[in-house]
Amino acid sequence: MIGHDVFLPAPLLAVPSGIMVMLAATVWRRSAGRSLACAMVTLLLALAVVGRHTGGRPDNGDSLFIQDRWTSYTAALIIFSTLCILLMSWRDRGHDGTTRVDEYSLLFMLGTLGALAMVFSANYMPFFLGLEILGVSITGLATFRYRPVMAGCEAAMKYLILSGVSSAIFLFGTGLAYGVTGSLRFTPPVAAGGMPAALPVAATVMVLAGMFFKLSAAPFHMWLPDVMEGAPVPVAAFVAVVSKIAIFSALVRYFGTGAQPPFLNDIVSVVIILTIMAGNLLALRQTSLTRLMACSSIAHVGYLLIAFLCPGHVQSGAITVYLAAYAASTLGVFATMTAFASPDGPDGTRIAQWRGLFFSRPFLASAMALMLFSLAGIPPGIGFLAKFEVAATGVEHQRDVLLCTLIIGSIIGLYYYLNIIRIMMTAPLLPAHPLKRHARPELAALVIVLTIIVVIGGLFPARAIHPLLPAPPAPPGLPDGMTH
Amino acid sequence: MHALALLAASVTVMGAVMAMTRRVAVHAVLYLVVTLLALATVLVMLGASFAAMLEIIIYAGAIMVLFVFVIMMINLGQPDSAREKEWLRPRAWCGPGVLATIMCAELLYCLNPPSGPAPAPITAHDVGLSLFGRYVLMVELVSFLLLAGLVSAFHIGRNRVGGR
Repeated sequence: MIGHDVFLPAPLLAVPSGIMVMLAATVWRRSAGRSLACAMVTLLLALAVVGRHTGGRPDNGDSLFIQDRWTSYTAALIIFSTLCILLMSWRDRGHDGTTRVDEYSLLFMLGTLGALAMVFSANYMPFFLGLEILGVSITGLATFRYRPVMAGCEAAMKYLILSGVSSAIFLFGTGLAYGVTGSLRFTPPVAAGGMPAALPVAATVMVLAGMFFKLSAAPFHMWLPDVMEGAPVPVAAFVAVVSKIAIFSALVRYFGTGAQPPFLNDIVSVVIILTIMAGNLLALRQTSLTRLMACSSIAHVGYLLIAFLCPGHVQSGAITVYLAAYAASTLGVFATMTAFASPDGPDGTRIAQWRGLFFSRPFLASAMALMLFSLAGIPPGIGFLAKFEVAATGVEHQRDVLLCTLIIGSIIGLYYYLNIIRIMMTAPLLPAHPLKRHARPELAALVIVLTIIVVIGGLFPARAIHPLLPAPPAPPGLPDGMTH
Repeated sequence: MHALALLAASVTVMGAVMAMTRRVAVHAVLYLVVTLLALATVLVMLGASFAAMLEIIIYAGAIMVLFVFVIMMINLGQPDSAREKEWLRPRAWCGPGVLATIMCAELLYCLNPPSGPAPAPITAHDVGLSLFGRYVLMVELVSFLLLAGLVSAFHIGRNRVGGR
């Protein structure tokens, strides 16, 4: 009964197996490098089997997991992002004098497992468990920053408490939804006969609030800059990219891609306006690059939600491209930050440290400028196309207010993104002090790969747009595998 | 049945509010125990007697002992006898006592079961069957959640010790 015929997407089998191997390797001899290598091999394996599954696909629509092209796409994106993040921390481990940090990659793998469980979930249960696995792993990961000892602990504490609160709200909503429908299927509850109409609405709003908390949409966005600033740079990238993609994927799965009910439309519209304005205005005065990226990530969630709210022909392609563009550009910025940092010099988290980079390290500065252009939505990068598509979804539905917010937000965004480039172009104050360069081929390769993705995606966009989203009624049997 | 469930639920809420507003951790723990007992009563009335037993054994029993233990550990400094006298004034245990008495009265009242259709209780057998049948993957996911918590706690604890 247990062993056979359990429907399980293959990445959810590969990643836990890798974790078990890593644990066994830890028992044998503790080595951070071996853990990291093992994690990477596992992720590559998971990436290879992302569209497969074990067991028979259940027909009655009552299963715990689901697999279609949307899950394959977001899962591949998550696994690829985690690979990049692990590559970023390849040389950084043991950087502050601690030698045995093999639980670092273990926690990354556990977090990835949580994110994958959220992506593949067709039931409240795996979603909630995935959410918690991801949250607990990020709490542990945030404490890996040693230099100001309290910074990491403060970030972890904030994340732990706020994620606990949001999980409680989400669970309350889940309980109400179960009370209404009597089932734990991952869809918004619909009132049955004899139920007060307010009950499903309350349940939906609570579930939505829990998700917005994790997605750092506007009334619940304050934790993100603090947590990202306190965490190490790769962990900040993990919080900004992997956890957001996972939650957004589940959000689209939960609410579907059809037209949303009117109350939801109003709530999400207000949240979008608040999110875009709050994210962009907060970013204006930041002096820390990590905080600035956090604020920009808040604003990008707002842009993404516009595409979520406007169903139609363009929506699927817009969301697909936007997720890829956001992931590639944000990872690019963080990879450049890691490449810029040196153990005995600046760590690249303050914007002022980037002054004059075009003169001292032109390659790095150009890559950074390209990523920032892409985030701001300026043509050479894939970000331009993504923002264009999102605007097209809004135009299709005549969402004038949302479009105005998008434009105003993008203009504010131009200021702070271009400001960094301006600082990089300013002549350095002191005559260039030749810092001891550390050859880091893996980071150079990572930056080059991300740059190529961003440029190719921006120049040849037609190949990137695919209708991957689940169709509005539950799809009976989409073909396996992803179509890149 | 309805009134009894509402009574138990209101005791739960009152206990929770009091637990949040107490200044002394031990007093909050007293209210928390009452809250958990009342919550278990609500669960019994919903037919989930197995969950109620787990609630009492694990939360009101094991975890509360752990709470008290930690409070004792971190409150070093003053002499124990003076501190315990301070903690166990009548004002401190009166409130939880009253709430616990209400729950006890409800329990005594319920000993002769009221007529009418009671929901069929969910037994340990049912829970075990669904845990290791349909939801076996969820059990595995929970074990990974516990693993993540363990690794995080291990790292944070070691980090603090090493940081000194």
